[in-house]
Amino acid sequence: MSKAILFNLIQVLVVMAFAPLASGVLSRMKEIVQSKRGPSIFQPYRDLWKLFHKDEIVSEDSSWIFRFTPYIVFVTPIFVATLIPVLTNYPLFFAFMGDMIGAGFVLALGGFFATLAAVDTANPYGPIGASRTRMVGFLAEPVFMIVFFTVSFVAGSTIPYIVQEKWVTPLANFFTPSHVLLMLSFLMLILAEGGRIPVDNPTGHFELAMIDESKSLEYSGRGFALMKWGGQMKFFVLMCVFLNVLVTPWGLAGAHTLGAVLLAIPFVLFKIFCFLLVLVVIESSLSKLRLFRITEFLGAAFIISVAAMIAQIFLP
Amino acid sequence: MSESTNQLLDNLNALATGLFLLTAFGIVAMRQARGCLNLFIIQSLLLAASAALLGLRHESSHLYGVALVNLISKPIIVPWLLRRTASAEIYTRREIDQVLNIPTALLIALALTILSYFLAQPILNAVAPEFRGPNVPIGIAGLLLGAFTLTVRREALPLLIGLLVMENGAFLAGISIARNLPLLVELAIATDGLIIVFISGVLIRAVEKHVGTTAVGELASLKEAAAEPAAKEASK
Amino acid sequence: MSVIIILLLPLIAAALVCIPLKKYWASGVTVVSSVAILILATRITLRVAAGNPVVSTLMFGLQQWIAVDGLSALILLLIAFVATTAAIYSVGYMAHENLKPSKLRLYYANYNLFVFSMLAIPVLADPTLVWIVVELTTLCSALLVSFQNTREALEAAWKYVVLSLMGAGMALFGFLVLFAAMQASGSNGVYTWDGLIVAAPTMPPVLLQTAFLLILIGLGTKVGLVPMHTWLPDAHSQAPTPVCALLSGIETSAILYVILRMFPIMHASPHSHAETWALVLGLISVGTAAFLLLQVRDYKRMFAFSTVEHMGIILTAVGLGASVAGYSAMLQIVSHSVTKSFCFFAAGAALMAVGTREIAAVRGLIRKSPAASVGLVLGGLAICGAPPMAVFLSEFSILKAGLMQKQYVATGLLAIFIVIAFFGIMLHINRMVFGAPENINGESPEENHLEPQAVENSHLPFSCRLAMILAAVPVLVLGVYIPKPLDDLLTQAAAALTK
Repeated sequence: MSKAILFNLIQVLVVMAFAPLASGVLSRMKEIVQSKRGPSIFQPYRDLWKLFHKDEIVSEDSSWIFRFTPYIVFVTPIFVATLIPVLTNYPLFFAFMGDMIGAGFVLALGGFFATLAAVDTANPYGPIGASRTRMVGFLAEPVFMIVFFTVSFVAGSTIPYIVQEKWVTPLANFFTPSHVLLMLSFLMLILAEGGRIPVDNPTGHFELAMIDESKSLEYSGRGFALMKWGGQMKFFVLMCVFLNVLVTPWGLAGAHTLGAVLLAIPFVLFKIFCFLLVLVVIESSLSKLRLFRITEFLGAAFIISVAAMIAQIFLP
Repeated sequence: MSESTNQLLDNLNALATGLFLLTAFGIVAMRQARGCLNLFIIQSLLLAASAALLGLRHESSHLYGVALVNLISKPIIVPWLLRRTASAEIYTRREIDQVLNIPTALLIALALTILSYFLAQPILNAVAPEFRGPNVPIGIAGLLLGAFTLTVRREALPLLIGLLVMENGAFLAGISIARNLPLLVELAIATDGLIIVFISGVLIRAVEKHVGTTAVGELASLKEAAAEPAAKEASK
Repeated sequence: MSVIIILLLPLIAAALVCIPLKKYWASGVTVVSSVAILILATRITLRVAAGNPVVSTLMFGLQQWIAVDGLSALILLLIAFVATTAAIYSVGYMAHENLKPSKLRLYYANYNLFVFSMLAIPVLADPTLVWIVVELTTLCSALLVSFQNTREALEAAWKYVVLSLMGAGMALFGFLVLFAAMQASGSNGVYTWDGLIVAAPTMPPVLLQTAFLLILIGLGTKVGLVPMHTWLPDAHSQAPTPVCALLSGIETSAILYVILRMFPIMHASPHSHAETWALVLGLISVGTAAFLLLQVRDYKRMFAFSTVEHMGIILTAVGLGASVAGYSAMLQIVSHSVTKSFCFFAAGAALMAVGTREIAAVRGLIRKSPAASVGLVLGGLAICGAPPMAVFLSEFSILKAGLMQKQYVATGLLAIFIVIAFFGIMLHINRMVFGAPENINGESPEENHLEPQAVENSHLPFSCRLAMILAAVPVLVLGVYIPKPLDDLLTQAAAALTK
């Protein structure tokens, strides 16, 4: 049992440690594609270190929510990281504490508090971004639900470890239409929830057009560092769910030894790197959608996920 | 054929038909005319792939012929014909305001797909087990979605693509249940599709020349009430 | 062998027409080929009427791909007849239009291709080939419908193409299901109409009924059954008159023939509701058309609605029971074809005389163009079912058959609808032909801007008159006397329906 707790801890540490790296690699690759040099891939670490050593300025008109939110945004992805398969394909100590739907709600809790905090400061751009984030969020919820429903319909359970075991076990199942369609719709979902192009521009500084970035507009110093890090971890966690549960549940540690778990780390990083490559291609070839078109984008994701569900349920 | 290869082929066929359905959705929703044409080409390739996979699975050389015919006629000859007969204007159109907005249209398309699964059940129950598969429901869905595209789109090229999607859908369903259709008939059906494109292209060009718009779905002046002024000037 | 010649003749004519020669080359070639087709068709029909159906085999994996029995021969003869009269009529009509020679050649080439596609429908025995030819009829006539290149003509052509091809798509699926049903029945016959009848008892009923419904609704779009008829009034009124005669007179009947072929197949299968469907759909078509006829504003549209009505009557007759009403249904097809083409010829003559299609703008036609008015009155009376014309005889026998089958409601409804249509058509024609030239807007008729260049060419071209007389002969004769060969043919056709 102590081993299980240890492995869970290692899992969380991996998520915490490598989330900024993933973000750094992504921005570097995007710049390279645009024929620029780009910042070093360890730049996010340096940014976080710098921010932790800066003073924090908090508005007098804000309430306890504003001060409390960075901690919530930081902790919720860690919570989810204990529930999902990151390194191992057997359930760990906390695995049965919550299933995929619970994990989704926990992530949504973080987003909820971030939205409230954005409204809290009376900065005009905060509520604009907050309302847009909510719009994207509520349109994305049905897609989440349908994806998890379809996936658990096959596996007979909503615990991600069990799903991962059953989902693409015979290789032939990789090509079933429901699998391909689910991959597609969940990818569109990650783009929406992570605030990537075509839904939102993560490198934009134009406040009127910000969706996701606006929730950390008012923060400085330690709060800002926690918000940033929390955002990166949320994205990392979503990628882990996508890759380890839905798409390629291979390369995870099967044995209960420390060595196997440590060996799984480079595999997972490699998978994430490949996914980041795909993401760079998508981001560089599409343009940001206008706001009212995001409903169509997420509507299409919904339709695709329902089509996957139909294909799974009605297929002989 | 071993069991696992059969399983793999069945799954690949299911994948091809699933993506076929996806392209049908795309044709309903895609605003740009050129995008519709590209989706149609992809759909025809998927149809050919499904035919080839079914041929491999059930060892029927007829279906290879079908796949080949579809491969040549639809992705290659149809765009070429269109470029020759219809005006180049139709490729550049986008529909800015639509009859139904896209999410609603997609939801109705989804409902039609579920309907087609229910419609396909009696047919699937009546044929022998080796003919069952995802082809019939998705083919019927293609038929219905093509008809639906015809009602919601107004630009010339998407309307034409809707017609061809209906034929693709009927074909997709047909290749799984009517396997030994003589090859001559298949060739004739493919030629028929080409003639459709030719004549429609000529008509679209004529409409663009004489009426001045490519939004042929919007032409609606022939009604009982409006017949008076129309008949006067048209009957010279 | 002569069947193949019949099929080849229009193709050769279409090719020959494209050669730019003297003024009457294109029209002459067309007329000659149509007359030749008529002669050959009559010969085949006489042979079939005597009881020897034509069956021929060809290679390429299609066995028995040509089969002409009573029903096919009837439709073949009608197509040839209407094509000939319409070709003769075209000579004068097209000359009146003053077209560029290249456009005229296009017209005649399309005309011949259209006739080819229609001729192929009754003779082919493989249902999928028949489907292909049905699509060809749509495609060959699309450019004919849009011939005048006005906004309305193009709209009519587009609606025609889209709706017909939609229906054809459904029908394709129906034919494929029919093929699957044939395979599932385990019979070793070939996939032809006769083979299907033989295999029908062992076919899974679900597949057969699905196929029947799909074909009924899909091809019913082309026939003009309500509620799929919306393209028909537009297309059949915007096309040039001879083409209207072809479309209304015989093309809808030819497609109805394909639907009728399904009925003996459905008979051979247990618990089929084919007749109920036919009855209901037919009655709905007759009723809707009758009511729509009352408020029509364009006289060619009026005749087009009348086509919808008559298609409904034929379908109702088949629905009443092919064994009882089969002969009457066949007679109705014959009488409708010849009468409707005559009506359209008369309408074209009126159009040439007054230059407008609008009923409200035409008054006192009898003074301007006696030939056109006589034609209109005769045609109107004939198509409504007034004695002693052909349509009266067939409608009466249908009603009688209905009463004998004790289908009182259906027969009663049919009679009411026919009367309403009678009233509508005669009202409009009466106004057009005999009305005093009314003063619209208080102006005298000569200043009336509704009749521009009306009086110039009111002299009807000779070929048009000839075509009208030729078409009028069966209309008048068949009302009182049915020649023995025709009677045999009709009996054979009805027998083919009840096999």
